[in-house]
Amino acid sequence: MKQHRKVALPRYGEYNCALKYIVEQGFETECILPPPLSRRTEDLGARNSPDLVCTPFKTTLGSMIEALEAGADTIIMVHGACRLNYFGELQEQILRDLGYHFDFINLSLFNTGKKRDILRALRAINPRRSMIRAGRSLYEAARMVEHLDDTTSFYYQNCGFDPTGQYRKIYWRFISDMYAAQSLPDIQEGYRNAVRAFEDVALSKPPDPIRIGIIGDYYTVMDPFSNLEIEQKLADMGVEVHRLMNITNDMLRNSNKNKQAKIREFSEFSMGASSTTDIWQAQNFAERNFDGLIQVKSACCMPETDIMPVLANLSQDYKIPVLYLTYDSQTSDVGLMTRLEAFYDMVEMRRKVTL
Amino acid sequence: MSEQKMPMIGIPRAMLYYRYGPLWERFFQVLGVSTLLSPPSSRGILEAGARLAPDESCLSLKMLMGHVETLIGRCNCIFIPRYSNYGYTELFCTRYEGIYDQARNIFRSSGQRFITCNIDAQNGFPEAKAFEQFGVELGFTAKESRRAWREASRALEQRKKAEDRSQKELAGKPGIKVLAAGHSYILSDPYLGKPILDNLDAAGVVTLRADALEPETARKACARFSPTCRWIVSEEIVGGVLLWKEKADGIILVSAFPCGPDSMTNELLIRRIRGVPILTLVLDAQSGMAGIETRIESFLDIIRFQKGAMV
Ligand code: SF4
Repeated sequence: MKQHRKVALPRYGEYNCALKYIVEQGFETECILPPPLSRRTEDLGARNSPDLVCTPFKTTLGSMIEALEAGADTIIMVHGACRLNYFGELQEQILRDLGYHFDFINLSLFNTGKKRDILRALRAINPRRSMIRAGRSLYEAARMVEHLDDTTSFYYQNCGFDPTGQYRKIYWRFISDMYAAQSLPDIQEGYRNAVRAFEDVALSKPPDPIRIGIIGDYYTVMDPFSNLEIEQKLADMGVEVHRLMNITNDMLRNSNKNKQAKIREFSEFSMGASSTTDIWQAQNFAERNFDGLIQVKSACCMPETDIMPVLANLSQDYKIPVLYLTYDSQTSDVGLMTRLEAFYDMVEMRRKVTL
Repeated sequence: MSEQKMPMIGIPRAMLYYRYGPLWERFFQVLGVSTLLSPPSSRGILEAGARLAPDESCLSLKMLMGHVETLIGRCNCIFIPRYSNYGYTELFCTRYEGIYDQARNIFRSSGQRFITCNIDAQNGFPEAKAFEQFGVELGFTAKESRRAWREASRALEQRKKAEDRSQKELAGKPGIKVLAAGHSYILSDPYLGKPILDNLDAAGVVTLRADALEPETARKACARFSPTCRWIVSEEIVGGVLLWKEKADGIILVSAFPCGPDSMTNELLIRRIRGVPILTLVLDAQSGMAGIETRIESFLDIIRFQKGAMV
């Protein structure tokens, strides 16, 4: 076991601030942040991955390579639904075949449904640290994630109506505060500052703005680089952008235990991974009379593909237009912009007709 | 046809039918429920399925939806069981979880009834209990359903044993041996995998199959080789490859475009297995057998060359 590790996790939206917090504060271990995702990350990942694997696999692999280049000697990979359980094992093999030397902590190995395996996973990261400290850092990081998600939701619902450009600055200052936070008070203060600063900006928002709801797979919809900043692009067109899909809603708060029952007409059982949450959210947006829905999914994503017939029926029943977007490494900014503009025009036109 | 005259249950001859067919059929038979099996796969069925299913679906799902279509209006309800898991770390491809609801949505306007049996051990429905509940839903007593299930699972076990036996016989034969690895609903499908197997036959090659092996033995082999692989079916295929590869002169990995689990397990196999030539064939809805024959031919040439060089 190494005395001094340099730990990295692949990039995932801005959630790395919370992951960094756990590694540093909970395990008192150095955390290497991989560089922000870029075309290079994507190319590195795509070049070394099997073709038909979903884009998040490729992107996280690329980010691991960049983390190793940046000096990390230990990589931690998370697990989750669908193929994600298997990401780690294959990614480790690919990295070793590329000739990298490193320790790999694959949390999927410990994901057996037994509590003691969770403890084993924590020990693998740093055996000398107290479990109480680790537990507390998990709790505090969860608060950070909640603040991050709440702030992000608020930001994209409103930034399109800020004529001053202040919103963007406040948001990014908040993000960098989260990366710098070393204690719960730091987290709370960063959050309070952002809330206060937002309040000071006068928005010019119409009483009934165009509202679009976004759903999609766990990675692509939450990672602005992967979805080519779809939320910012829509907001800049003057749209109130809503995305319920985030870690807070789906994992921490889980306030809707009866989602499946509410959507049973469309889907009696879970159709895998993000499906139930997505369908429920789509229905929720539709019931609240949103102007449109956008499904953001990675190429080759199974559950998101499988729910497309459900979304089609939902769209018909609620008379809500749906834009289906599939992202792979070929998807371009320009191409996306064209489709978003066309969708926006259509949605705006429908309003005029129905008025 | 009047409601009464129609068979009770329609069964699509696709996807998990190739794995659990004997079990389902025996279950219905013991209970005295009439069934209608969709016709063998054909180009027409696949094309219909490709039209109905989302574009980006895998070939197997498209084929399934094509089979469902042939049953619409010809039976009281169409049976699409939902195989989700056998336990916390014993999972199936997420696609199997969604096919029942997906079919309900795709064929919503037809008014066709669908029925499922929900196998979800994580939520209290291991296979035996799921089928008991299913039997009760069909109007039988719990006891009758349990009996039917017992007989049905025995039927499946017997078939597995027979496959395992004939496989061992094949392995003892002389001549060049090729190990075909893929989902049984690909390899055994008369329109998808069968032409490949026929091709190998015609070339005078003995074809072993990775999916014809006692499941428990195969999964154990896979667990050592790839501990985080948790798709039961993929584990069996990977395990089959590991256990038969010594006997084979070459391995052909056959998969459906764009199969989620295969995209990963096949990559791992290619990276970790040394010393046996491997050919990967990915079947999709458009290209059919074109090009595949030549690839098999040159693969066999390589094998023959290697064998010749060794003698
Ligand atoms: S295992 Fe592959 S081929 Fe089978 S349903 Fe899943 S994605 Fe399709």
